[in-house]
Amino acid sequence: MRAFPPFLALRYLLTRRINLLSVFGVSFAAWAMIVVNSVFTGFVTDIRDDVRRSTPDLLLTDLPHATSYDSLRAALEADPAVAATAPRLRHHGLWQPLQVPSRMQRSLESSQVDFNHMEGGFVLLLGIDPLREPAVTGIRDWIAGGMEPIGKHLGRLGPQGSVFDEADPKRRAEMLVPDELEWRGRGRARIPRASQEEHVSSLPGVLLGWRRAYVWPWLQQGDPGDLLAAAFVDDANGKPQLRTHRVRTAFAGWFATGHRMFDETQAILPIETLRTMLGQDHADPEAIALVTDVAMRLRTGLAPGEIAAAKTRLRTAAQALLAAGSAPCSVLDWEEQNPVFLSAVSHEQTLMRIVLFVVMIVAAFVIYATLHMMVVQKWKDVGILAAIGGTPRGIGTTFLLCGLVVAVVGAILGTTMGGLSVHYLNDFNDWLFRTANVELFPRNLFDLQQVPVRLDPAWLALVACTSVGLALVTAVVPARKAARMNPVKALSYE
Amino acid sequence: MTAPVLAARGITKTYRLGRQDIPVLRGVDLDVGEGEMVALLGASGAGKSTLLHVLGLLDPPTAGDVLFDGRPVHGLPIAERAQLRHAHTGFVFQFYHLIPELTALQNVMLAGMMTTSWLSWWKDRRAAKARAIAMLEHVGLADRMRHRPAELSGGERQRVAIARALLVGPKVILADEPTGNLDSKTAASVIELMFSLQAERRIAFLLVTHDESLASRCHRVVRMRDGVVVHG
Ligand SMILES: Nc1ncnc2c1ncn2[C@@H]1O[C@H](COP(=O)(O)OP(=O)(O)OP(=O)(O)O)[C@@H](O)[C@H]1O
Ligand SMILES: [Mg+2]
Repeated sequence: MRAFPPFLALRYLLTRRINLLSVFGVSFAAWAMIVVNSVFTGFVTDIRDDVRRSTPDLLLTDLPHATSYDSLRAALEADPAVAATAPRLRHHGLWQPLQVPSRMQRSLESSQVDFNHMEGGFVLLLGIDPLREPAVTGIRDWIAGGMEPIGKHLGRLGPQGSVFDEADPKRRAEMLVPDELEWRGRGRARIPRASQEEHVSSLPGVLLGWRRAYVWPWLQQGDPGDLLAAAFVDDANGKPQLRTHRVRTAFAGWFATGHRMFDETQAILPIETLRTMLGQDHADPEAIALVTDVAMRLRTGLAPGEIAAAKTRLRTAAQALLAAGSAPCSVLDWEEQNPVFLSAVSHEQTLMRIVLFVVMIVAAFVIYATLHMMVVQKWKDVGILAAIGGTPRGIGTTFLLCGLVVAVVGAILGTTMGGLSVHYLNDFNDWLFRTANVELFPRNLFDLQQVPVRLDPAWLALVACTSVGLALVTAVVPARKAARMNPVKALSYE
Repeated sequence: MTAPVLAARGITKTYRLGRQDIPVLRGVDLDVGEGEMVALLGASGAGKSTLLHVLGLLDPPTAGDVLFDGRPVHGLPIAERAQLRHAHTGFVFQFYHLIPELTALQNVMLAGMMTTSWLSWWKDRRAAKARAIAMLEHVGLADRMRHRPAELSGGERQRVAIARALLVGPKVILADEPTGNLDSKTAASVIELMFSLQAERRIAFLLVTHDESLASRCHRVVRMRDGVVVHG
């Protein structure tokens, strides 16, 4: 490169305020790309973590009607990749507390409907084996996790204990609340109870996702509630009939996985209670250990390839045990268990990135416009430079350098500002809230202590390179125009 | 006898306007010897400026050749041609053609940056600046170096343009009506400057002018009419 292009480019830039606009445009675009993407990535990472937390490593599902856990368990647990399994039984139903505190502490029968709190009644029932489930999912942590948001949102302490801490495995299997709590709960709901000394808990426990606490804020551990479910059962003639079942249960506590949908819809109850409702009472010698799914925990430290291999192995093993001609079952990893939700999230991220690139392209247009204007203003200079010995290449380089300097300064400013903004985002948000009572990122909406941000260095580098690259590409057009100008015409340009 | 520093051999230049050919130069032959002061006269539209542009390699001729020190240059590759023109000829225009963003000193220094690489220029920047300062002092602008063209008078601007043309030590300066835009007193001082440069440094001048008295002071007068040299 000759000496004059940088010398001249610098002076052209410094004498034109309009170039600040280009610099600002590039830095703003880079800044926006970094901040928006970091916040979005933070949210996505959080969401994925939450979904992950609510999901077992692998789930054997799409099992035929009336599959027994006992028939599958040994084969699944024999697989070297599997550390533990637990049965799952999914159904849907209604759960309604018996005691509703409108006007004078009323109590309801489940045949009556509490119209004020109806929205909370519908639940997805998840029957688990309380003795096996902790080996497969973090259900103990879900319950511990339920304490904090309840305390925060209802302004009082959530449940004090966990049914999983019960020492007696028989009681634990039914998720029974401590005798005293059930005795008090029966009292609040005005249903029969023995004297306090003699009372022994007998109502199977139901754990609810903490988001229902908005609907039933008064609910306390031990409060009785009725669970209703409907299912087709074959009658004496072998014809399926829709039967409803009702079981009286006790509220055993809140859980929180962080996965919003899960915490909104699920009610967890002992699998035997649900089996009984569906016509598989374990007292009946004919009954089977009914499951819709089997949850599995994998050994730690498996590579993705090993997990994929285990999935195929487990599927084949399970299929071999099912009745001949059964529809194919599936083994799903945690992402496959939440396909719609996760792919929606990643689609949104892609879309958002495209929108951000459009912002960058707009910034490139600003560079193009200002640079083009400059070349037109400097027509005569093109002729002068040619007259004193400048080559077309050197003249083009001069204008290209103008674009490059704008882009580099803009990219440096933008990425620095972006990085700092991301770093101090939460401090800034707090400060703004304290001083002006304005929340840029309403944390309560997302139940977050902090705005989750994740600055990806690769994205930072990509943004910096793209802004410089794009600016350079747009600068080529006016620069070429200058280089191709006929010097004699340029000199006589008025 | 040494070859003329600048020579034109059968130069023709034809512009095309739509379908029409406009012959502006129709076979011009011209020699400018070393240190020679040649006046180029002719009516407006005779093709004087066009000839200067062709001789200064700003515009390629339709036919014919330009010779620097007897060497034909129009066939050379573009970078070499730029280099050669830079070292060999300087331009001075009627309307000065300085770069408005730069100070007088920077305008002169710029001429030294056209063909050197930025690295070697940077290593040599102090000397380069000193040369530009010396050149401005030489044309009598020692106290105007930090002024932008807009802050200089016409005569001062033309002196800056001359200093710029002189910086790299060319053998010939092509001056297209250098005093055409100046009052007679200022014009006279600029002319004196050129004559003194010619005498001191043996720089040849090809001077386009409409001023007969100025032409008569030159070593030789060349007249053009309708694209040809009519009388040498
Ligand atoms: N780009 C062009 N296209 C067409 N014709 C042109 C072009 N440039 C110059 N001409 C024509 O060439 C002729 C010579 O122009 P030139 O500028 O060389 O004249 P000149 O002798 O310098 O005149 P003046 O004394 O007025 O400066 C003019 O008739 C002009 O119209
Ligand atoms: Mg002219």
